[in-house]
Amino acid sequence: MNEAQLIRKAVQGDGAAVRSLYERYSPRVYAVVRRIAADDDLAHDYAQEAWIRAIRALPSFRGDSRFSTWLHRIAVNSSLQAVRRAETRQKREAPMPETIAVAPPRSDALLAQKLEWALDHLPERMRTVMILHVVEGYTHDEIGELLGTAPGTSKSQLFKARGKMRELLKALNTPEDREELEVWSI
Amino acid sequence: MEHLTSETLARLVDERPNPDERSHLHACTECAEELRVYRFQSESMGELTALRPPAGDWESLEARLVSEGLIRTEESFRRFGFAAAPAWMQAAAAAVLFLGGTGFGLAVTSHDGGAGTLSLENMMVPVAQISTADEAAQAVQFAEQTYLQALVRYSQLAGGDSEPRFEDPLSRVAALEGLLAASQEALRLAPADPVFNGFLVNVLAERQETLRQISVSGGDNWF
Repeated sequence: MNEAQLIRKAVQGDGAAVRSLYERYSPRVYAVVRRIAADDDLAHDYAQEAWIRAIRALPSFRGDSRFSTWLHRIAVNSSLQAVRRAETRQKREAPMPETIAVAPPRSDALLAQKLEWALDHLPERMRTVMILHVVEGYTHDEIGELLGTAPGTSKSQLFKARGKMRELLKALNTPEDREELEVWSI
Repeated sequence: MEHLTSETLARLVDERPNPDERSHLHACTECAEELRVYRFQSESMGELTALRPPAGDWESLEARLVSEGLIRTEESFRRFGFAAAPAWMQAAAAAVLFLGGTGFGLAVTSHDGGAGTLSLENMMVPVAQISTADEAAQAVQFAEQTYLQALVRYSQLAGGDSEPRFEDPLSRVAALEGLLAASQEALRLAPADPVFNGFLVNVLAERQETLRQISVSGGDNWF
C-alpha cells in the first residue's frame, strides 16, 4: 500500500494504517522531539502528543508538501510548544542519553553519543536553534518564524551554541577516549 | 597575536572570512585548526541519525488514539467475534442498525404525531429470511433509504429546516447512545443471538466513528 492510500485509510480511523505511518516515520519524529526535549521521559510525552495532533489534523493534510515534511513540522511545533509550557527545567547532570540511534555507523557511535550528550547540556534556546538549523536543516528565516524572533537572533544563537558545544566537548574528553576522539583534543 | 573568538570561528563555519580574518587564519595554525574542529563538529551534527522510540511507545500511543476516538482497531471487532462472521451476516446486521436507528428516532419523536408517513411496520426488513449476499445488499439499500427519510423527518420535527443535517455528529451520538442501550437490553434477554451481537458491534463501531469525527472536527489546526 502506498503512502497516499495509507493516509486515506488513516483519515478514516484505520488503526493498521496509522501504525504503518508510525512505523515509517516514528524514528525521525522521535529524534527531533528527543533532541528538543533533551530528556527521555519528556521526549516520550512530547512525541505522543505530536502524533495525536498529527492524526487529529490528518484530514487537513492536502498533499501540498510531502507528508514527512508536514509531520515533521507538527512534531517540531508541538515539542517547542511543550517546552515553552514547562515552567521550570531541572538542570541535568545526566549520564549519556539512553536513546538508541537507528543503526549508526559503528565507528561514529561514540561520537554521536557525545554530540547528543553535549546537545542535551546546551541552554534551551541555543539547543533549539542548533537542532533546527544544523540537524534538521531549517533556515534562519524559518527558525525565526517558529520561535517568534528575528532571523539574526537565530544566527547569533547558533554561533553561541557552536562555541558552547565546543567547550562542552573539550571538557568531556578524557585520556581514555582522547585517542578515539582526537579531533576534540586539540 | 590575538586569536579569533569562538563566536567568530562559529560564524566562519557558514560564512567566508573577511580579509583580516583570512590573513589571521593563514598566519595562525591554532585558529586554523580550531576552525577545522568547528566545521567537523557542525558536519557531524548534521549526520546525526534518527532515534528509535522506546519499547512500548506504539502500544501506549494506540491506547490514546483509541480512547480519543481517532482510530478503531481490529481488536475491537475480534473481541465480539464479529470479524469471523460471514459477509452477508455483517450486511444484515448493518441493515438492522439502520432500521434500529430509524425506529429509535420514530420512537422518540412519535409524540409529535407527525410520523405518519413512516411506520415501523413498513420499514421492517425480514432479516431472519436473508440468506444471500444479494438479499442482504438489498436490505441495506432499503434501510439506507429509510434512514435518510427518517433524517428528513427529524429535521422537519426539529424546526422546519428544509435541509436536513445528515452529518450532525452530536445528534448521531445521542441517537447511537439510545441504540446502544436498546441493544444491550436485547442482549441481556438473548445473549447468544448473533443478530443482536452484530447489531451491538455495529452500534459501537458507528459510535466510535462518530466520536472520532467529533474529535477530528474539534481539533485545532494551529500548526
